[in-house]
Amino acid sequence: MSEQLTEGERTVLEELLNLNQRVPTSDLANRLKQGEERVISILNSLVSRELVEIHTKERVTYSLTDEGAEYVDSGLPEVRLFGGVKELGGKATFDDAVAKADLDSKTKGIAMNWARRTGWLQIVKEDGTTVLKTLVEEAESEVTDIITQISQGKESHQSSDSLNQALERKLVVENITKSYETEIIGAKTSEIEKLLSAGTTGIGNITPELLASGAWKDKSFRPYNVDIQPVYSNYGKKHPYAEFNDWLREIMVGLGFTEWFGPYVETEFWGHDTLFVPQDHVAREVQDQFRVSSPYDHGKIIDRKYYNAVKAVHENGGDTGSKGWDWPYSEEVATRLCLRPHTTPVSMRYLYEHREGPQKMFIIDRNFRSETLSATHAQEFNQCEGIIKDKGLTLRDLLGYLTSICRGVGIDKLKFKPGQFPFTEPSVETFGKHEKLGWIELGGSGIFRPEVTRPLGITDTVLAWGLGSGRLYMAAMGINDIRDNYSRDLNWLRRSHFVR
Amino acid sequence: MIVECRIDDLLSLIGKKLTLEKLEETLFLIKAEVEKVEGNIIEIEVNPDRQDMLSTEGIARAVRSFLRLETGLIKYPVKKSGKQIIVKPGLSKIRRYICGSILKGVKADDKLIKEYMHLQDALTSTHGRNRSKASIGLYVYDDIEFPIIYGPKKPEDIVFKPLGYEYEMNGPTIMTDHEKGVEFGHIIKFHKKWPLLYDSRDEVLSLPPIINSNDLGRMTTETRNLFVEVTGTHLPTVHQALNIITASLAEREGSIESVTVVYPDDTIDETPDFTPEKMTISTEEINSMIGLDLSGPDIVKALERMGYGATAKTKSVNVLVPAYRMDILHAVDVIEDIAIGYGFDNLTPAIPQTMTTGKLSPATRLKKKVRDLMVGLGYQEIMNYIMTSPETLNDKMLRSETIVTTENPKSRNYSVLRNSLLPVLLDFASLNQHADYPQKIFEVGDITIPAETAETRVNQIPSVGCLMSDVKVNITTSMTEVGFLLRNLGLNGKFEFVSVNNPTFVEGRAAKIIVNNTEVGVLGEVSPQVLENFGIGYPIVAFEIHLPRGLEW
Repeated sequence: MSEQLTEGERTVLEELLNLNQRVPTSDLANRLKQGEERVISILNSLVSRELVEIHTKERVTYSLTDEGAEYVDSGLPEVRLFGGVKELGGKATFDDAVAKADLDSKTKGIAMNWARRTGWLQIVKEDGTTVLKTLVEEAESEVTDIITQISQGKESHQSSDSLNQALERKLVVENITKSYETEIIGAKTSEIEKLLSAGTTGIGNITPELLASGAWKDKSFRPYNVDIQPVYSNYGKKHPYAEFNDWLREIMVGLGFTEWFGPYVETEFWGHDTLFVPQDHVAREVQDQFRVSSPYDHGKIIDRKYYNAVKAVHENGGDTGSKGWDWPYSEEVATRLCLRPHTTPVSMRYLYEHREGPQKMFIIDRNFRSETLSATHAQEFNQCEGIIKDKGLTLRDLLGYLTSICRGVGIDKLKFKPGQFPFTEPSVETFGKHEKLGWIELGGSGIFRPEVTRPLGITDTVLAWGLGSGRLYMAAMGINDIRDNYSRDLNWLRRSHFVR
Repeated sequence: MIVECRIDDLLSLIGKKLTLEKLEETLFLIKAEVEKVEGNIIEIEVNPDRQDMLSTEGIARAVRSFLRLETGLIKYPVKKSGKQIIVKPGLSKIRRYICGSILKGVKADDKLIKEYMHLQDALTSTHGRNRSKASIGLYVYDDIEFPIIYGPKKPEDIVFKPLGYEYEMNGPTIMTDHEKGVEFGHIIKFHKKWPLLYDSRDEVLSLPPIINSNDLGRMTTETRNLFVEVTGTHLPTVHQALNIITASLAEREGSIESVTVVYPDDTIDETPDFTPEKMTISTEEINSMIGLDLSGPDIVKALERMGYGATAKTKSVNVLVPAYRMDILHAVDVIEDIAIGYGFDNLTPAIPQTMTTGKLSPATRLKKKVRDLMVGLGYQEIMNYIMTSPETLNDKMLRSETIVTTENPKSRNYSVLRNSLLPVLLDFASLNQHADYPQKIFEVGDITIPAETAETRVNQIPSVGCLMSDVKVNITTSMTEVGFLLRNLGLNGKFEFVSVNNPTFVEGRAAKIIVNNTEVGVLGEVSPQVLENFGIGYPIVAFEIHLPRGLEW
């Protein structure tokens, strides 16, 4: 801590000495034409040097809720109910009294409850109907007085039963405002005067003129307060989810994978048929996947030869040694447009263009499922998908690749479960031990079936996997609600960061 | 799919006391997962390919064999009953196939009957594709007078008491008044005649695939002898469903008898048929797929642990596939089971050998560059859903573009694909008016625009959208920033701004952005009407530029 005073501290202390009394910090800020926040920050620094004191004051005020404001106009339900009974001669059935008092179905319960608790009305059953009788001449309601006073601008009140009742009934809310007052510690006055007189010398701003003249030599510089926490500020930066995806891409490229692209709107041919998903599979129905209906609902087949090979595989296995689905294959279904439900069609589009030699491809991008948006489900989610094509690859190699990728994202402990996907055989589900979440499902994988690769003329083994990367992002950021992956809260984004 | 089992029942069928932990571990290794345990009830998730595991009996059979308590192909002896199902002409376009089996001495108590119904439901909903491809009926065998007739009838002529009702209904009434008729009626309703199953006294068994009769088709705790039938449109599916349910019931001490189906062309089908399918797979193919060096006998052991019959030859293995398995289409399906039988817990990951060099796509590289420049300009990156509402894209923006629209959205707010980033940014800004100003936000992401000639009728375009909002904004700042962005993308001297009338922007304060003589975007001060539509109380300048997917602008 510097012995000398900063410019800010100096002005604050001078003003306090000048005033020579306890003042609200807001007044002090006004006098100095400074923001109150900044003045308090300076005062805090002076408090830590034991030169001034800050006193916190709480002020309790009351204001009406929407319901309370409504009752100021229309009267409390129990008062109205009492009035209704009285107008009907001091005795009436519940229904008649409610009608007379013009209460709606929501307020009539409230009215009954409080009319009984105040002892204004007696409630009896006569021949199975509820009958109300007045017990007092006039309904004197202190709650009405309280809410009327508040509505007229009287903000402070002594605590009382009726105030408590108004609070409990949520007609009135309590507002606590904090304010601060400050003063110089009397015993330190002479020390402060000394500091103020000592610190007026020294150079403030270093200017080009000062440097040119060399006038700064043999002079001292006025110190500034450099011990404070800087205020929050809003500069430009990237979205944490985007940075997370950048990081995943970096890992995949590091493992030798080439990034590829595929469209959100797909034909079911690419989305399912090329992946040997039967045309009547439940995943293709409207409750699971989005269909595109306008302006076009069907796409085109661009390669008849490939189309015919896929069709043959579905109908009878083609030349793959498979039985196929033994079911008529429909071009209408094949050309139907959908939003891709997974990134696997992108792998097929890549293989379509890269049928020779060893290949490694990845994509990290959006997929769509017809879900209602909630804390656990979203209509859009990210997948990190990859394939490896080479001669002689095995199931154990797949487990090896999955291990390397999961290590890349910081998950070392894995277990593998046999799984099932229409396009892979064998299929594997990978579970990883996450440092925060315990065992979590990381994604599906497997070896592409011959029914998937042979129509492209590919005889090499193709290992394929899809990682639910959104889940890893949520874990990394401590996000529990999936809707926060695409947060629409600018304040949250301004204060959030992904660090790896 | 979830199967609910009673733990004591499951363990008694397995025939060995297991701890819950051991059971869970075993299930994990044969594709099933324990979802929940509550008292004596365990919920097990079964993969949809293992339709034969959709019942307590099926799960127990798989566990028993995996734990080597009883390995190899299980024989289900079938006695010929001589009973017949006669198929009448006229069903070939409606629901042409039927098969059946008889089970005698089956155990039945309230809980078991409930479980049989669950299995029936689970099988017909998935394997039977919600009854359209196959549906199953169970009947009290002793009440039926064979032969059974399966034939087409006019809807008005169909009259019986449907399950759960004590009075008769005719066909059309069942479709409108019975909950199953309402749910599944669409499968046969459009035909002039509907398939009906009745016995030789004309007593109705059921109206497949809708509902059983309340008289013949209602199992009680007294029922010991069952008649099971499956109807459908695909013969293998129909056979498999019958095999799965018959085998499950046989695990409950039932003895199986076959039924003869006689088709109109005198074709005979004796069902159920548990003859296993034969396959021969080379040892080499097996080892090269899994990455092991298993001998013939090792492979046989693994297969037997998965309920197959198998014998080792010199260079291959002869495999007998159980008739209740419907997921074996290709040798690879058997090889997967060999890997499972060998144990996924025994498979060690191998070190990957495939050498390739990796790289990012050109679009990702360009997007990254643009994002870096936007951050340099002091903008906060935001990310939004691709899906949004037509109101946001068109009405509020005073635009009338054609939008890629989905048929079955769960909510109108997420029913179309965005064709521009500006509306999404404005929507974001409208939600954040409580946050500190100035607000400078941008998004880099894909938009979709209908394109008739494209394969999927859509062009998907990478785009950058940006807006700045404060108590006072200035179009010149926006132009300077676009200049900074484009010049740093190597486009100095290749772009120009041309004043344009665009309803989204204030007249006289908007420009087209043109790069290499092609319009790629727009900039301007947002019109107060658009701000009002979004409920925004601060002025905004904004721009959007379409980026190339490849390297060339």
